[in-house]
Amino acid sequence: MSWYYIEGILIQCGYVLMVVLGLSLLTGFTGLFSFGHAGFMAIGAYVAAISTAKWGLPFFPALLLGGIAAGLVGAGLGSLTLNLKGDYFCIATLGFGEAVRLILENWEYVGGARGISGIPWKTDITSVLIACTAGTLGLMALIRSRHGRSIIAIREDELAAQMSGIDTFRYKMIALIFSAVYAGIGGGLLAHYMTYIQPKMFQMVKSTEYTIIVIFGGLGSITGSIIGTLILTFLPELLRTLNNWRLVIYGLAVIVMMVIRPRGLMGGVELGDLFRLPARKRAARLAEQRLKSMNGGDAGKGAQR
Amino acid sequence: MKREGGEVLKLEHVTKQFGGLTAVGDVTFDIREGEIFGLIGPNGAGKTTIFNLINGVYALSAGKILFYGKTIGAGAAEGKKALQLKPFRIAQMGITRTFQNIRLFKNLTVYDNVLIACHRSANYGLFEPLLRLKGTRFVKQEKALKHKAEELLDLMGLAFYRDVVSVNLPYGLQRKLEIARALALSPKLLLLDEPAAGMNPEETDSLMQMIRSIRDDFHLTVLIIEHHMDLIMGVCDRIHVLNFGKSLLEGTPGQVQNSPAVIEAYLGVQDGERCAVKEGEQ
Amino acid sequence: METEQFLQQMINGLSLGSVYALMAVGYSLVYSIMNFSNFAHGGVIMVGAYIGYYAMTAANMPFWLAFALCGVGAGLLAVLLEVSVYTPLRNRNAPFLYYIISAMGASIFLENFVIATIGPTYRTYPQVFSTAPIRLAGLSLGRIDLMIIAVAAIGLIALVIIIDKTKIGLGIRASSFSIKASQLMGVNVNVTIFLVFLLGGILAGFAGMLFGMKYTVYPTIGGITTKSFVAAVFGGLGSLPGAIIGSVLLGVIEVMVSGYISSNFRDLIAFVILIGILIVKPTGLMGKPSEDKA
Repeated sequence: MSWYYIEGILIQCGYVLMVVLGLSLLTGFTGLFSFGHAGFMAIGAYVAAISTAKWGLPFFPALLLGGIAAGLVGAGLGSLTLNLKGDYFCIATLGFGEAVRLILENWEYVGGARGISGIPWKTDITSVLIACTAGTLGLMALIRSRHGRSIIAIREDELAAQMSGIDTFRYKMIALIFSAVYAGIGGGLLAHYMTYIQPKMFQMVKSTEYTIIVIFGGLGSITGSIIGTLILTFLPELLRTLNNWRLVIYGLAVIVMMVIRPRGLMGGVELGDLFRLPARKRAARLAEQRLKSMNGGDAGKGAQR
Repeated sequence: MKREGGEVLKLEHVTKQFGGLTAVGDVTFDIREGEIFGLIGPNGAGKTTIFNLINGVYALSAGKILFYGKTIGAGAAEGKKALQLKPFRIAQMGITRTFQNIRLFKNLTVYDNVLIACHRSANYGLFEPLLRLKGTRFVKQEKALKHKAEELLDLMGLAFYRDVVSVNLPYGLQRKLEIARALALSPKLLLLDEPAAGMNPEETDSLMQMIRSIRDDFHLTVLIIEHHMDLIMGVCDRIHVLNFGKSLLEGTPGQVQNSPAVIEAYLGVQDGERCAVKEGEQ
Repeated sequence: METEQFLQQMINGLSLGSVYALMAVGYSLVYSIMNFSNFAHGGVIMVGAYIGYYAMTAANMPFWLAFALCGVGAGLLAVLLEVSVYTPLRNRNAPFLYYIISAMGASIFLENFVIATIGPTYRTYPQVFSTAPIRLAGLSLGRIDLMIIAVAAIGLIALVIIIDKTKIGLGIRASSFSIKASQLMGVNVNVTIFLVFLLGGILAGFAGMLFGMKYTVYPTIGGITTKSFVAAVFGGLGSLPGAIIGSVLLGVIEVMVSGYISSNFRDLIAFVILIGILIVKPTGLMGKPSEDKA
């Protein structure tokens, strides 16, 4: 395997990671599921591509513009659908993603089903690294703040979060907008790597794939999302010789994962936690031991009346 | 040691209908500052519905609820539009609650449960966490938040269990944690929904102590729904009795215990509750 | 002429709606009891279409036998999915998302398994019905369209009778209100759920075969279930009459839009309807509303 080939996969990991980080915020931390993130990605890709290819904008502003456009659309979608209950929101995103693709397919200005070609080749390993580092640090900063904790509270119990004075609608909105911005930037990176884009690159299957990566890595873990992206992007490439059987194995792996280890690789645990918190863990274990001895082992079950 | 104060919460002709069913009909009472106020009644009397009306989970069908003189919910009446503050807004104004069937952030630690609820003590913006430098508002406020959470855990005797995932706590401690979380918002009025459910007599006793000391230490007013008559009679300053969604009686524990109407309401509905009332009389 | 064209479109729409309905009831039945959208349904339809195809070509079976076999095969596959994928999740009280992801995994697996073993080529069913349309009052009715409408009508009526009039159906209806309560009342929930998957699977198999006969058979044929899913949401997820009405309406709307406005908007309209109905009335035309309890 040549470095050129590996570099190609790493760049692919990079733009996938941007989308996955966004989805990780929405799914892993907020507890909302989206089957429409390919739609946000498409918006980012098209806006960024048009900005550079048709309007001659520089690469980075174009990427940002794509992200902002996706974020604005996310805000619009959110204001209409975030009041829906969990699975209905998920269905709405599915409809949104497909609608975006179909609109692009029928819109001549953006090339219809043929899409846009001749996009300048700008996405290299450096730009991907910059985007992913900024994206990861930004997400970490958000999560480790009162805002991030409020978002996590929504995932744990939305009603209890409201009763704790958390404006759940606002925080769901924030999560959705940030998530869409990330996906939009990921789309822009994709467009300037492939140098052409077509609506069919943004089918619902893509949204599913990203959700699977988030779950595979573990809900509520940024580290998990990164590791998940690396494994699930590299693995199919390594298995290339298996041709069509790759996706058969992939589908099977997803089912086995859900059945055997639904928490994912890192479920709720960050890399830092593994080093930083042995003292905390010891304290927790001690407390749990005391609970057991106190209650004759019925901790968590609750006393009988 | 009842402290006579101003009106904290006022319910005026509060009514809630679900479809054709009237769950709460024309209930009026007020709670004064520093009081421990009990709301009792047989099963299905509409107690939890009233809680949900107070903190905005349900919208009123008719009537009005005021908190420190401000309307937080009102049904449509006399050409005036219905008004309903959002639950989170009501919580921010100073009414917090616990749940009959405990609702903690289950997969998070004891500490995180409280820390999340402390969020009102900080006001840094959405993008401020990006800059984690000493002396920024973000870092200062985060430090204060964490300090507040630790303090609350100390006060509630939960400090030792700080890092235990909350779902692994025994029942009694889960209830305590829920109260700690509710206190983290520095409320003015605390609603307790059957806090003694599933507790043995000793635990109930210490709960009574705790409710009193919370009231005094945090300068709170407390509204309790409870079936345990020991607790209600032992801790409440005044009690409001509901039956079939309607007000039956209001008075001091002594008055309520000796009311034939109350005894009949319980007797007529449920045999098991009779003993509870009798116990309270002793 | 105008009205004739309109009637012609109505019939085309009805035929399309019937295929949707056969699939949508499967979504709705599963949703009504297990509260999740079974996205593996598309895989079941696809396998049904292939079973019918090979029964008729490789095994040289007569149409009716192949048709029956495809229903049985698809039904059994649906049950197999439930036992191997969803039962472990159910035993663990997993959140709805895990079901959806597993279903997606199953759908990816089935599609690609067929691609890897049979290949991605489009296959055409042997001709069963003459392609010459029946002329009636100036309308030309495709025989396959009539067949689709007839099968859908019979299949759906049978399903409604099973659900409304039999003891099994009572168990299904009870479980859709509350699994726990019906379990306490002596309903065997496992059996009920198997039956739901079996019934949904059989109808899905029929739909797959009929759709394959009208067009062609290919591994991603299950993609049309996205539309029937939209139809199920349109009518109200979990409601059987809702799924049927939603499907017929969606079929007719799609055909009308492509006939009178532009065929480009045919797919788009489905998703616009989906988002529209979710915003206006998320429980769909006939779904049951629910209120959160504190």
